Amino acid sequence: MAATLTKSRVDWTGIVFAVVLTIVIVVPLLVVGTWAFTNVWRYPSVIPQEFGLRFWNQTLARADVWSSISMSLTLSFTVTALSALICLPAAYAFARLDFPGKNILFFSFLAGHAFPKFGLLVAIAGIFLQLNLIGSFWGVVLIQLVGTLLFMIWIPVAAFQAVDRRMEEAARDVGASPLRVFWSITLPQAGPTIAAAILLSFVGTFYETEGAWLIGAPQVRTLPVLMISFINNQPVIQYGAVLSVLLWVPSFIALLFARKVVNSGSFARGFGG
Amino acid sequence: MTVSDQIGSATPVRRRPFGLLLVATPVLLVAWLVIWPIISAVIQTVWVPTPDGGKTVSLASYSYFFSDGYSLSNLSMTLWTTGVCAILLLVVCLPIALYLRFSNSKIAAYVQGLAIFPMFVPSIILSFAFIRVLGPNGTADLLLNSVGLPKIRSPYLTPWGPVIGLVWDNIPLTVLILLSGLGNVSNQAVEAARDVGAGKIALLWHIILPRISNSILVAISFAVLGIFSAFTLPYILGPAAPEMMGPFMQRTFRELLQPNTAITQAVITFGFCIIFGLFYVRSVAKNRTP
Repeated sequence: MAATLTKSRVDWTGIVFAVVLTIVIVVPLLVVGTWAFTNVWRYPSVIPQEFGLRFWNQTLARADVWSSISMSLTLSFTVTALSALICLPAAYAFARLDFPGKNILFFSFLAGHAFPKFGLLVAIAGIFLQLNLIGSFWGVVLIQLVGTLLFMIWIPVAAFQAVDRRMEEAARDVGASPLRVFWSITLPQAGPTIAAAILLSFVGTFYETEGAWLIGAPQVRTLPVLMISFINNQPVIQYGAVLSVLLWVPSFIALLFARKVVNSGSFARGFGG
Repeated sequence: MTVSDQIGSATPVRRRPFGLLLVATPVLLVAWLVIWPIISAVIQTVWVPTPDGGKTVSLASYSYFFSDGYSLSNLSMTLWTTGVCAILLLVVCLPIALYLRFSNSKIAAYVQGLAIFPMFVPSIILSFAFIRVLGPNGTADLLLNSVGLPKIRSPYLTPWGPVIGLVWDNIPLTVLILLSGLGNVSNQAVEAARDVGAGKIALLWHIILPRISNSILVAISFAVLGIFSAFTLPYILGPAAPEMMGPFMQRTFRELLQPNTAITQAVITFGFCIIFGLFYVRSVAKNRTP
């Protein structure tokens, strides 16, 4: 009876939260989406006078948009590949092997998150200035690589540790080689979480603005950096709106694939929750 | 169980330098690109060249910062923004986290999805959206005009611009950290308190808050570290002067071409955030159970 009563009660608190959050979170993004598909929208009309794709053609005809898309993709692929190459073996080592100073080395990756980020970037830029890395592709790669280290080690470590060791031992007992065990037992179990970490790393790099702006600009112009100049100097609102929609594509893919990892407690615990 | 115990117990007892070899590259990267720049920044700003070609210990760049009116107003604006954002985040996120922890309704899943959603929206898109909604002739103005009300005084390019953007941006992680902390509050403890007649306020004050105080401090520390030297949102949404420390450092480094002054500003931000940084690292290290 009590359960029935509880079930039939209207969740007013939830409704209030849902309505307020929808207005605050969703409406601003819907407005940007609407601008992207608008040909004419003059004040004080509440809805656009003319919908259309005219500004998509104009935006996609711009050389600076294509060069920044290609720069962003090249940077993100390079940083993600490098970070997977150096972090995944390290994550496996932290999860499975024993070596001197393991704990202190593991926690050393927190250092990058223990300082105000832009202050740290300025300190790094001071060193890059002496090394002639300011305004260079590899300077931006290095800055963004540092940003991915914590995720690309901590999340895969958790994934490797969550693998059922008894299954691995059972496979070894029936004669499977270590490589075969890794390929057939360890990877299928740890793989999805590692894939989510790689995806988060790619998306994080794709949207990284501060390092790319401080170290790379104006020679290395990524999509977010181009977006800053569109916001500051571009009177045509639709250019920024179309670029926003284009920019959001990787995030949308990440949203589809990484929600499980983000919703799990381990993600919040990674931030100290 | 701490992470040290976890890592220690989950591994075989083999002690091989092979592990060290595998972790060497990322560890060296952290040493070169995180630890060394911080040490170097402090040394560079204190151990300064003299006219005769030697070097001497001097705090001149710091005394300049703390005697310069513009630098001080930037610092105070940063402190104000960080403080206001931290309070607003707590006021906004704690009720959401409490609702998510104790609700079984279907709406809770929708609310959680919305609360986490900003994590998937880059700051640069948020800035643009914010200008289009709350900026001059934005959606808010359009809607007010349509019902015959006067325009709003837009927070865009005022100190409140970055506050709104930074709070929006930090909602997901604050909610997730608080929610993770609320996981430690058992239903039995809550039911026992209710059985002895505790009201909602008493329940919150005596049962829930003491158990999640660490998570609250971690959430605030994380937000403070992110907000204190935030760049994108204050740069786009904030006023030109005074400006927050992030845009101030960027302008000093890139536009005024004064790297040493910018590095001094960076060390000052480190100084203001050191307690939050240490607390954050200690809590993550203590609580993390992979």
